[in-house]
Amino acid sequence: MATIIDLPRRAFDTTRSIAMAPVRPLIPAGMVDEWGRDDHVIRALSPLLRLRWNVSVGGDQHLPSRSGALLVTNDRRFSFSPLYTSWALAQATGRPVRFVGHPDVVPFGPALRRMGAILRNPAEVRGALHHGELVVLATAPTNHPRSAGAVDPALVGAAVMAGVSVFPVASMSSPLGRSARVQVGAQVRPRKKRRGPLAEHELAEMTQRHLQRMLDELGGMQTGMTAIDWLGEG
Amino acid sequence: MRGQRLLVSGMGGELGSLVASMLEDEPWVGSLFGIDVDPPRRRLRKAEFLRIEPTDRDRIVEVVTAFDPHVLVHLAVWEPDARAGTDLARAFTEAAAHAFIGAAAECRSLESIVVRSGIELYGRDRHALTRPDESVLPHPTSEYGRMLTRLEAAARQAGERIGVPVGMLRLAPVLGPHVPSPLGRLLRQSVVPYSLLADPPFSVVEDADAARAFVAAAQRRLDQPVNVVGPGAITGLQAIARGRRIPVPLFGPEWGLTRRLSHLVGAPIPDHVLEVLHRGRLADGSRAQQLLGVAPTVSTPEVIDRLYAWESVVRVPSPIRGAA
Repeated sequence: MATIIDLPRRAFDTTRSIAMAPVRPLIPAGMVDEWGRDDHVIRALSPLLRLRWNVSVGGDQHLPSRSGALLVTNDRRFSFSPLYTSWALAQATGRPVRFVGHPDVVPFGPALRRMGAILRNPAEVRGALHHGELVVLATAPTNHPRSAGAVDPALVGAAVMAGVSVFPVASMSSPLGRSARVQVGAQVRPRKKRRGPLAEHELAEMTQRHLQRMLDELGGMQTGMTAIDWLGEG
Repeated sequence: MRGQRLLVSGMGGELGSLVASMLEDEPWVGSLFGIDVDPPRRRLRKAEFLRIEPTDRDRIVEVVTAFDPHVLVHLAVWEPDARAGTDLARAFTEAAAHAFIGAAAECRSLESIVVRSGIELYGRDRHALTRPDESVLPHPTSEYGRMLTRLEAAARQAGERIGVPVGMLRLAPVLGPHVPSPLGRLLRQSVVPYSLLADPPFSVVEDADAARAFVAAAQRRLDQPVNVVGPGAITGLQAIARGRRIPVPLFGPEWGLTRRLSHLVGAPIPDHVLEVLHRGRLADGSRAQQLLGVAPTVSTPEVIDRLYAWESVVRVPSPIRGAA
């Protein structure tokens, strides 16, 4: 008759527990959400992000409290505006805010996914919007901080198909300083209701125009009189 | 609707036995019949069972046509390295699909086919959607995914030819106390490898939630694919931390050696499980509630916690010694 042999399990468990004790606090216990965003990681990185950007948020009352929305923001090259915009809006609204455009390459892709990034794919964006998520989409990158690049109609089409609103979000930051601004505008409402693909093309163009107007109204990061401005005053 | 005849292929497996025990309690089920290569793992009160090899097609056709079911619940799917190696699993799954679906198609009373599938068929190629829904076309990148894609295609074609609705339940990796799962077996090892650079998220579903979905699909005559996925997600490292196992971070080339070592200690890592650890596995399961009326209730982290809470060995005292 077969018998069960007891291995020295308790001794093994004790050894394992002692070996793991120094590294256990470093291992994130918990879980990620259904899109792979890790709240634990974002909380841990928040002091670093705060060290880089001191973001003032305005107009967040425009955003829906529960349903999904596509937030289109301008993007100066190397400004990482989708990252700080989504982080600042998540803190202002208390909701997870995702951003479009993580490269599907290790280690950057998985790391950005933990921060809330999703793939730059209309089906992926549509899925997130359909599930009531706030998604930040960057325009085409530009060299000028106050210029809104073109908005991808295919990605705006995801919002049209999901039946959610589109909001322009003007973002501005300094390449060297900490100050940054994120201003949410009112919902973009198309003048005509379209049944076909014209809807996303017109909505994308209108969003770009709204965004450009907001950036013009916002002014630069450095405002006020320069030291010699008084010479010009009559 | 009362007095329905149900045929469950793969009734001997843990999931099949669970589905059968739930169907026994349904008032609309008149008679329940099961076929598998192994006997059922639960005590069934009403169900009849026959032990037939999946390769014995003539016998299966004879028995199934004699029973003349209203609904076929096809669970005879072998996950690679769960109960059989990859080659054997592929051969058994294909043989069972041809035999059961082919035999059911000959039955005049047949009204519905429900097939067990999996979210592995979406594949995890580069730029694949993070959470594919049912509208995404299958693009499998593992052998198990390809097996499931072929199974779905065979069932769909048969359904179209005879005009019968075919429902396909695309399950996340199923974990349960006695479910033979290569993923569950790997996570329960004392030392568990994970991908240091990626550590992607994945979802699972508990066996009881999956079984409830099959019962609902059979009752509602489901005629489309549905993802059945537990809420929430977890990464490999988070699962290992929850189970207080020793994590072994791996970069890339050493995975080959790790797979061989893991096979030696009794936890083989087939390519679809490797894919979970490297690329993750999520899916959008939000349509389950709408189409089936039920949705998984046990979240992925809870299933993982239960995975580690299950006893390794359940000791049943000897009846002779107990009597003395």
